[in-house]
Amino acid sequence: MNEATPIRRRTTVRMPTSDKRLNDSASQSQYQPYKDAAWGFVNHWYPALFSEELPEDKVEGIQICGIPILLRRVDGKIFALKDQCLHRGVRLSAKPTCFNKSSITCWYHGFTFDLADGLLSTIVANPDDPLVGTTGITSYPVEEVAGMIFVFVREDDFPLEDVPPLSADLPIRFPENSEKFPHPLWPAAPSLYDEGAVALGLHRTGQSNWRIACENGFDNAHILVHMDNTIVHALNWVLPLGILPDHEEPITLIEDEDGPKGMMQWLFTDRWKPVLENEALGLKIDSLNGRFYRTSVVMPGVLLVENWPEEHIAQYEWYVPITDDTYEYWEVMVKVCPTDKDKAAFKHRFDRVFMPLCLRGFNDCDLYAREAMEEFYADGTGWDAEQLVSTDISPITWRKLASRWNRGIAKPGKGVPGATKTSSIRMRRLAEGKAPGYFVEKIEDVNNY
Amino acid sequence: MLTTTEVSPEAALGASTVTFAFSDGAEHSLSIPAGSSILAAGLEAGLPLLHQCRSGTCSSCLATLVEGEAGTLPGNNSSLFASEMAAGKRLLCVTQARGDCRFTLDYASTGGQQVSAAQTFVNAVERVAADVVRLELELAEGSWIDFRPGQFIQVKVPGTDQTRSYSIASTPAQLPKIELLVRLLPGGVMSEWLLNRAAPDAVVEIEGPHGAFFLREGEKAPHIMIAGGTGLAPMMAMIDQIRARPGRKPPIVLSFGCQSNDGLFHREALELRQYWLPGLSVHVSVDRGPASEGVRVGNPVEAVGQGGSIDPASVAYLCGPPGMIEAARIHLEALGLAPENIHSERFVAS
Repeated sequence: MNEATPIRRRTTVRMPTSDKRLNDSASQSQYQPYKDAAWGFVNHWYPALFSEELPEDKVEGIQICGIPILLRRVDGKIFALKDQCLHRGVRLSAKPTCFNKSSITCWYHGFTFDLADGLLSTIVANPDDPLVGTTGITSYPVEEVAGMIFVFVREDDFPLEDVPPLSADLPIRFPENSEKFPHPLWPAAPSLYDEGAVALGLHRTGQSNWRIACENGFDNAHILVHMDNTIVHALNWVLPLGILPDHEEPITLIEDEDGPKGMMQWLFTDRWKPVLENEALGLKIDSLNGRFYRTSVVMPGVLLVENWPEEHIAQYEWYVPITDDTYEYWEVMVKVCPTDKDKAAFKHRFDRVFMPLCLRGFNDCDLYAREAMEEFYADGTGWDAEQLVSTDISPITWRKLASRWNRGIAKPGKGVPGATKTSSIRMRRLAEGKAPGYFVEKIEDVNNY
Repeated sequence: MLTTTEVSPEAALGASTVTFAFSDGAEHSLSIPAGSSILAAGLEAGLPLLHQCRSGTCSSCLATLVEGEAGTLPGNNSSLFASEMAAGKRLLCVTQARGDCRFTLDYASTGGQQVSAAQTFVNAVERVAADVVRLELELAEGSWIDFRPGQFIQVKVPGTDQTRSYSIASTPAQLPKIELLVRLLPGGVMSEWLLNRAAPDAVVEIEGPHGAFFLREGEKAPHIMIAGGTGLAPMMAMIDQIRARPGRKPPIVLSFGCQSNDGLFHREALELRQYWLPGLSVHVSVDRGPASEGVRVGNPVEAVGQGGSIDPASVAYLCGPPGMIEAARIHLEALGLAPENIHSERFVAS
């Protein structure tokens, strides 16, 4: 027992808040687990790479929810392991070394891991060491669908037999859900699982917390930021000033057993009322010429925008946590293309219109809007201090359902990029003009570093 | 591996070979002289045996006799019920071997934890019911204890030389914060301190962890929890631990009972847990009416199994006064639960 006068740990002081806000204290305590999920929800399926980013025999290193992950494709099949040697923490993907098709070797001291289960199968210069065969690095289940590679990002002790199918972490499908969620104004949205589905898109790193990014995707009050986007004017869309919930159930929860868990917003029905006028500011919209669309979101933060940006296309988005202040923003358009000709036509239009005007132009606004919120939320107090209003029923509903249906709250990253914000490596990279990102930087020239 | 057919030379001199079988498969055999406490001999040999009071009261050193004979040391008492003794339960601190025998322990051989003393500060003192106070402590800089959800600590009542035992209601992940639920007793020294002197920043000395009542990890069978009054504390810790655990969660039924409506507490906290854990269902009972909405009148034991059948493979955790524990054991065994899957912690108010 320490005989000296006990010393208090550093304590935080809570600022008083008003209970007039929509996010009153009772509501906030319901979504406390969400507030705790700065590093993301773990034990879920996340997109890792597009298929074309991982050709045969290539190794790539990425980071999701603070967990370093390497992927290697062998004979077409993809394996994923923790990208951190158990010996002394080296990232295997920085200088991929593979002596056969069934293993990957750490390029520093030769620790060699079985691709299928991560077991330490040998050590190059120490094959008889007692450690061999007794330990290993975590392996991650992988699925490849419609040109996208998904990884089940699990905690080291999440049992493999408990891993749910990928479909449990993807949006609901149509037309099988058309009766439950009717959409008279547009055809059934395509799914990644549909035969002939083609996914075209990009992924890039955003400098904000993943939750801020995710909430932006289905926030119905943010139409304002898109008012001057080129696509809006090029197609003569006239958007309302905003839309307000006008029904006892403007949002319906998706909570089927074994299926995805999320919520559907009844946009372009009488449950949401467009706002056409703001007298105080002298703003008035005469005739709407909108695009009919609908947003839904499922765990672990997968957005589906139906009928967007044109008929027979749906936009999918993911906001994959990298650290607590970076996320990988995935923007993917899915269309069913039964023939090669259809495929080429979709690709042609995607390259010339959708990529520059939608995924870049339109969604660039979202990217900088999220980053504009980041500083307010960065130290965690923003989640207590924000003052939400009636349109924010969407993020609040999402926060509550995420608190209920997440499979685990990711622990703050340890021994990975972004875990120590002031590390000298991070500082040097910043000085070199490289922002913190998603991929592991490879050692390209072994004689010139 | 021990062979029991041979008579060891020690047996002839009045010593018995006692085997301890831990839940992780580890076994240790010791030669223990007649008339000695098995716990004392085991600890002397360095075995990781859980224990606390060493006087037959606290049940921390509970073990199950599966072979041979062993009885209570002359001049000692065991707090076990006759039914528990008949089922082979023994408190090792007051038990002697009568010939070679074998005990099973329902914890792993790695289970021996370091008991340490620590200093804490009071963060909050909150009256949550007519006779219950929620006490939130925070470990001082440089102080630490480890524990498993369900275990208890000893708290020195400030300004006195008295100590009291309380189960921790928070989880190890919440350390350095420690939450306790304390039942107020007229004239009790802790109650007197809580009501009249306790305030944020007061320094409180604690020691722990203690007890063999803790959540068994990796158990996927349905969980039944029955709590009387502040016996809810270890259940809160276990429920929050299960919530944070990776993998599929077991279904949990929690039956929580108090004497009367003004003694109920933590209803909002339980509603939140139900919201966060879709597999958790909660029954709240009061022994005597009137009861507010959603609360049944009756005892928490009989509420279990009323709404349908219970999986006999379930594991149960019981915490409350001795009468409740005994009634719950009888009730759960009648529902088909195996006695070794029923873990209990009884408390006596002091």
